[in-house]
Amino acid sequence: MEFKLEAHRIVSISLGKIYNSRVQRGGIKLHKNLLVSLVLRSARQVYLSDPCPGLYLAGPAGIPAPPPQQQPGEPAAGPPAGWGEPPPPAARASWPDTEPQPERPSVSHAPRVGDEVPVTTVTGVGDVLQGGEADATEAAWSRVERSRQAAAREAEGPAGGWGVFPEGSLAARRPCGCPLGGEDPPGTPATTPRTACCCAPRPAEDEPPAPPAVCPRKRGAAGVGGGPAGCPAPGSTPLKKPRRNLEQPPSGGEDDDAEEMETGNVANLISIFGSSFSGLLRKSPGGGREEEEGEESGPEAAEPGQICCDKPVLRDMNPWSTAIVAF
Amino acid sequence: CCCGRELFSWRLHSDIISTVEFNYSGDLLATGDKGGRVVIFQREQENKSRPHSRGEYNVYSTFQSHEPEFDYLKSLEIEEKINKIRWLPQQNAAHFLLSTNDKTIKLWKISERDKRAEGYNLKDEDGRLRDPFRITALRVPILKPMDLMVEASPRRIFANAHTYHINSISVNSDHETYLSADDLRINLWHLEITDRSFNIVDIKPANMEELTEVITAAEFHPHQCNVFVYSSSKGTIRLCDMRSSALCDRHSKFFEEPEDPSSRSFFSEIISSISDVKFSHSGRYMMTRDYLSVKVWDLNMESRPVETHQVHEYLRSKLCSLYENDCIFDKFECCWNGSDSAIMTGSYNNFFRMFDRDTRRDVTLEASRESSKPRASLKPRKVCTGGKRKKDEISVDSLDFNKKILHTAWHPADNVIAVAATNNLYIFQDKIN
Repeated sequence: MEFKLEAHRIVSISLGKIYNSRVQRGGIKLHKNLLVSLVLRSARQVYLSDPCPGLYLAGPAGIPAPPPQQQPGEPAAGPPAGWGEPPPPAARASWPDTEPQPERPSVSHAPRVGDEVPVTTVTGVGDVLQGGEADATEAAWSRVERSRQAAAREAEGPAGGWGVFPEGSLAARRPCGCPLGGEDPPGTPATTPRTACCCAPRPAEDEPPAPPAVCPRKRGAAGVGGGPAGCPAPGSTPLKKPRRNLEQPPSGGEDDDAEEMETGNVANLISIFGSSFSGLLRKSPGGGREEEEGEESGPEAAEPGQICCDKPVLRDMNPWSTAIVAF
Repeated sequence: CCCGRELFSWRLHSDIISTVEFNYSGDLLATGDKGGRVVIFQREQENKSRPHSRGEYNVYSTFQSHEPEFDYLKSLEIEEKINKIRWLPQQNAAHFLLSTNDKTIKLWKISERDKRAEGYNLKDEDGRLRDPFRITALRVPILKPMDLMVEASPRRIFANAHTYHINSISVNSDHETYLSADDLRINLWHLEITDRSFNIVDIKPANMEELTEVITAAEFHPHQCNVFVYSSSKGTIRLCDMRSSALCDRHSKFFEEPEDPSSRSFFSEIISSISDVKFSHSGRYMMTRDYLSVKVWDLNMESRPVETHQVHEYLRSKLCSLYENDCIFDKFECCWNGSDSAIMTGSYNNFFRMFDRDTRRDVTLEASRESSKPRASLKPRKVCTGGKRKKDEISVDSLDFNKKILHTAWHPADNVIAVAATNNLYIFQDKIN
């Protein structure tokens, strides 16, 4: 458990660093961002492989999944949505494989400085994830979705809907920043909805392959690529609807904030966090308020890690909110 | 020898020092700082009437090497910070050095002027042109002594060859060419030609998603002008031979130490990234610096280093905090002494470490005003890692991580060292007698 918390914290901090690197003088430092992305990958790996009781999930295809938590508590283990497209097919493909090693070098989310403007590398990372293995990944995606549904069914209440991403491979490629699972014990009401990612396929009970269609809509202004290939059409699940409704107003607001940001990609990030906040607000007013403050200070780039360290409540907080607070 | 160091001189820079380099004779010491300035110190000649000032380093020349620039095409600000300075071997009365920021390398000529011509025909003493019709007689101008003036002038500007941030420059032993390395590429230049450079290493993958490592440092072999090495963020070193092919993407030798699986952590990759690589003066060894250690490699053995020296192993348990405060990304340099018998590198709390390869002894010293009095010996310091802290020891938690010594240099012949602590430059020498 401690490893998971630690991993979460490290992921939050890493995301903060990547975000801050964009505004650093002299342009994005390729070397440092590469290293940060490697840490991100390691942390995610540890997070996924650290067994938590009762949360092991095996997909219908018999693909064992690393202990996915139902709690969407996990902070974006990959580059958050801000990195471009919603979970790309290529990334998805890796999940059911359940490998400890990412199929691709995780560096993909190193800013893609290339020869282009480093400032926009954040976008580049998203592009990175376009594997072009759409077909295979769609199949894989459905498998993943089904297993998620299975996990969802096991979970209690709304929390269950969000949990499981039976991702084997780290790849740290969760551009949408969807939490992969939470640390909190199943059913912790405060956690789930908050962390529900609009974009990632969210297994809800009986839902068809989860619709990232929510994502494009939510992120519209922020410029996330349209629904990723391989994201099945959104199903309207009972679970999803209320969330969408709830999240839309804040996301609208978020989008406004996002548009003020330097680049749309980071705006996506904020949107995602923002959407999570709405859930937070709904389920846990006290905690929600706290997180909201944290998020609002995000764009001002509060010192990543600093807030994490200062808040003694961190341990009890859903790790997802840790990431938010970090921002 | 590592003992008996005393403070020689101390200088306050206006900005954080970002590079320190002795020239080939050791008479000149160049420093570059974050503000793009270069300050050159010159060693005073031995003076019998002032024995205590033997060999003191005083400011010789100061000039602005690089200015902040803006790349309008990429909307990028280019920092003026001097990343590296490398001296050229002296060939005449003037001195030449290369200084580089993230994008542009400049060749500077530093020359002295101590005479001035007087008695011109066509202009007055104050420079005003004379009316030619007023000149009734001609004279030959004569040279008169003047106060020494040291001038620095840019002789070459090598620009637009690097997409990524330049981390190293290295002058070749042929004294005609030099290399410059950024995160993904290494270019070969001729010192006379600024509009062309040859790319000799390119590790940029076709698909940037597949990027797994970057180049962190590169250096030419001190004697073999066809050989150079470059280190990577993965902790590997590649030795390349320019005779084997024009593009040295394939290495001749590959140096890597297998990772110890028991010490694996989130930050294993970061701490294995090599921040500096330096050939020994003999050319037989090279030294690499990663976050926690310095390693000496025999060029004839690629499988593992021949020596590993722990710089601050007590930080291994603090890696997470060091990651949070960004210290884990600090790039420490290392250097050899003139005889290759000792190596030196910096640490935190203004500590720096010296390792004597012959006696296997090491020492930790501190560069600070409080602990250094002129002509008083430096006291060895010790960091306490365990529970009970002895007198004079410092506990790991009391270390000041803002006081870091990233840049050190060793005189090529004498036991004189230059240590840059933020914006302070300390020069220490071995005590005589």
